[in-house]
Amino acid sequence: MVTTPAVEKPSTADELARKLQEAASSKLAVVPVGGGKARGMGGAPGRCDVELHTTRLDRVIEHSQADMVVSVEAGITLEALQEELAKAGQFLPLDPFSSPGHTIGGLLATGWTGPLRLRYGSPRDFLIGIRVALPDGKVASGGGRVVKNVSGYDMMKLHYGALGSLGVIVAASFKVFPKPLYDLTVTSEGGWDDADRALAMPVTPAALEIFSDGRVLARFTGSHDAVDRVIGDLGWTVEDRSIWGRHSGRSPARWARIAAPRTALRGLVEGLPRGAGWWASPGVGVAHWAIASDASSVMATRAKAEAAGGTLVMLAAPDDFMREVGAWGTPPATLEIMRRLKRAFDPDGVLNPGRFLI
Amino acid sequence: MLPRSVVEELRTIVGREAVIDSANDLRIFERDGSIEGALPDAVVLASNTEQVAGVIKVAAHNNIPVVPRGAGTGLSGGAVTIRGGIALQVTRMRRILNIDPVAQTAIVEPGVVNQELSLVAAQHGLFYAPDPSSQKACTIGGNAAENSGGPHCLYYGVTTNHVLGMEVVLADGSVHWVSGDAPDRVGLDLCGVIVGSEGTLCAITKIKVRLLRIPPSIATMLAAFPSIETASQAVSAVIGHGIVPAALEMMDNVTVGAVEAHYHAGYPTDAGAVLLVEVDGTAEATRELTAAIGKVLTDNQGYALREAQTPAERELLWAGRKGAIGALGRIKPNYYLHDGVVPRSRLPQVLSAVGEIGEHYKLPVANVFHAGDGNLHPNILFDMRDRDVLHQVESAGEEMLRAVVELGGALSGEHGIGLEKSAFMPWIYSEDDLGAMHRVKDVFDPKGTMNPGKIFPDPSRKSVHLAGRTGLAIEAKWW
Repeated sequence: MVTTPAVEKPSTADELARKLQEAASSKLAVVPVGGGKARGMGGAPGRCDVELHTTRLDRVIEHSQADMVVSVEAGITLEALQEELAKAGQFLPLDPFSSPGHTIGGLLATGWTGPLRLRYGSPRDFLIGIRVALPDGKVASGGGRVVKNVSGYDMMKLHYGALGSLGVIVAASFKVFPKPLYDLTVTSEGGWDDADRALAMPVTPAALEIFSDGRVLARFTGSHDAVDRVIGDLGWTVEDRSIWGRHSGRSPARWARIAAPRTALRGLVEGLPRGAGWWASPGVGVAHWAIASDASSVMATRAKAEAAGGTLVMLAAPDDFMREVGAWGTPPATLEIMRRLKRAFDPDGVLNPGRFLI
Repeated sequence: MLPRSVVEELRTIVGREAVIDSANDLRIFERDGSIEGALPDAVVLASNTEQVAGVIKVAAHNNIPVVPRGAGTGLSGGAVTIRGGIALQVTRMRRILNIDPVAQTAIVEPGVVNQELSLVAAQHGLFYAPDPSSQKACTIGGNAAENSGGPHCLYYGVTTNHVLGMEVVLADGSVHWVSGDAPDRVGLDLCGVIVGSEGTLCAITKIKVRLLRIPPSIATMLAAFPSIETASQAVSAVIGHGIVPAALEMMDNVTVGAVEAHYHAGYPTDAGAVLLVEVDGTAEATRELTAAIGKVLTDNQGYALREAQTPAERELLWAGRKGAIGALGRIKPNYYLHDGVVPRSRLPQVLSAVGEIGEHYKLPVANVFHAGDGNLHPNILFDMRDRDVLHQVESAGEEMLRAVVELGGALSGEHGIGLEKSAFMPWIYSEDDLGAMHRVKDVFDPKGTMNPGKIFPDPSRKSVHLAGRTGLAIEAKWW
């Protein structure tokens, strides 16, 4: 079981790489920690000898306003980065749940996203460069600081969502976006049918969320006239934009994320236990479930999600509950290739043992 | 030459006529859209996944290189069989297997031509966004292998942003689906790693892509500028105003002259540079954005501002842009094209460096490129019959890429590293960076039979361009 681990808080990427190498050469289990927001994600850690915190790696390395590109160290919080970008009227279109306090490295490692994914995609789409410390002490970069780049393999994709299982992200570069010219939030009580109606509008919402009480929240951005016409056609009530900040603060103690092909999501959510609390991004194909029922209901839902080509992943739960349902569900058929990648980068299995699939 | 027994094995898999190994026929497959060529030992025309897997298994067993090949329009030598072996041609796999208008997805075989997918999807009001200039000929399989871009990638993103999943055949002949159409897959993003890997990790046999709704309104504008520098400033100004157009393309004076002579699209031939800007969305949005962009362009010395009034006029403007490189044949019969990328604000600097390099080597250079992305396309124009010029062209291209890298840029925005730029990879990546990429290569292709000699620097290669048949041809004065 988990004993008291050593806590390392290096202040440079090279120092972090050195600590990682030292631990790895002694075959100590290393758990990278950013904001600590996603510690409930993944299998209950089998071992943790060293906690490797990135929080002191918190610099903006370079924000090139004219190029709309920013490079940061991995331990910077999303809020601190947004503050920097806002000086130039820019932003990173990322509004993850369980905010505030996420670090950029943590968000990249976990792949956590929020409602704005509907319009902007996930960091998978706007991460343009990455720097990763590897267990052998090497620090390897991929990508660069340009918005379009096919020079070599896409190492950003390799590490995005890999939960620190191949290396510890120490820095990242992003394409950032101009704040929209016009940004209006509206709401209705009309449930799925209203959500579908809004998604079919000639202006696709930047974000659209539906809640278990039937409420729908949509955000339209872009052309003033076009947004006003669409909102007029919908006839929904205007809502204060600050509601999105409160929405991103959601962080259930027993929390599952259901991801499915968009066309299958409604059926899956409607099959949740009666009275279940959930919210969903139907345009993306993701639903979040604040679990109030037992483990068997989670496993039944997971089976349905997987049959529809989707997944149910636990984002948080008490250890015993997590052990009962399992964090990830059925591994993909390509698991063996993933294991080979793991062995190539972390041959002794020191990074996050037991937590990720590999 | 492959051993007879191997050729016979291949014929058993794909059929007798689908294996080409006569010297004359092989020449057709010697090149792609780049300069250098090398003959394959055999070309295999595969018709389905089982055949691809069978061929790759035979190759693995006999340690024979395999180079997957689509339409051969690539511009970095990615499809060139530089170490011989098998060119695995997938253009017979050209079925659109499924279009799901509700989910807005399509599943296609790798040989489906890019533009054909959009034409068929248009019946459902949908289109496939990545639009390389070669889209009339290039294949979706090749696009996925190269992570191709195109003018509209400024707003819509490149191929990797639109590929949801793929069926692939690994170097050992095993067949796998990577990813799918649900977001947030469990495990590593193998699909994301394979897109853009240039056939060095596996062969692609099916691709599931995202389709988008055709926007109700599209507006295309043209503006002239006194110089490349002023046009570059205007590009930065448009984006600096918080506007990301669907496309933002630049053509310099040389290109405009050639294009106008060929297409008569009404491009202003007196301009130092021309910007082609497109916005799409609702009618309200395009009206609002064209007005805003028009103001920014004229505020930045733009003149002769013109908006396409009819779809035909719009198509003509785009035909000029997408056919620009062909039109350059009016100036010189051959071109050599790099596609380095710089941070957008460095465009004026890098373009003036490109101009100086061209002047130094006394080679005409025509620029036609994705200005909004900072993605250059300097075309060095030359005549291959002049036997000394190729070295000059090669050196000029290398110097241009040097300038790109010195300004914080990358070697390729959308054409790939391939054969052409592998030697330059150490300019932008350290030994450890390349070492990490090589770990990925070794996991997927431990014996190194998948498209060998690409992406990674090969210390055994000295002269890049004269190693292939092109060099021989020049020696022998074939032209």
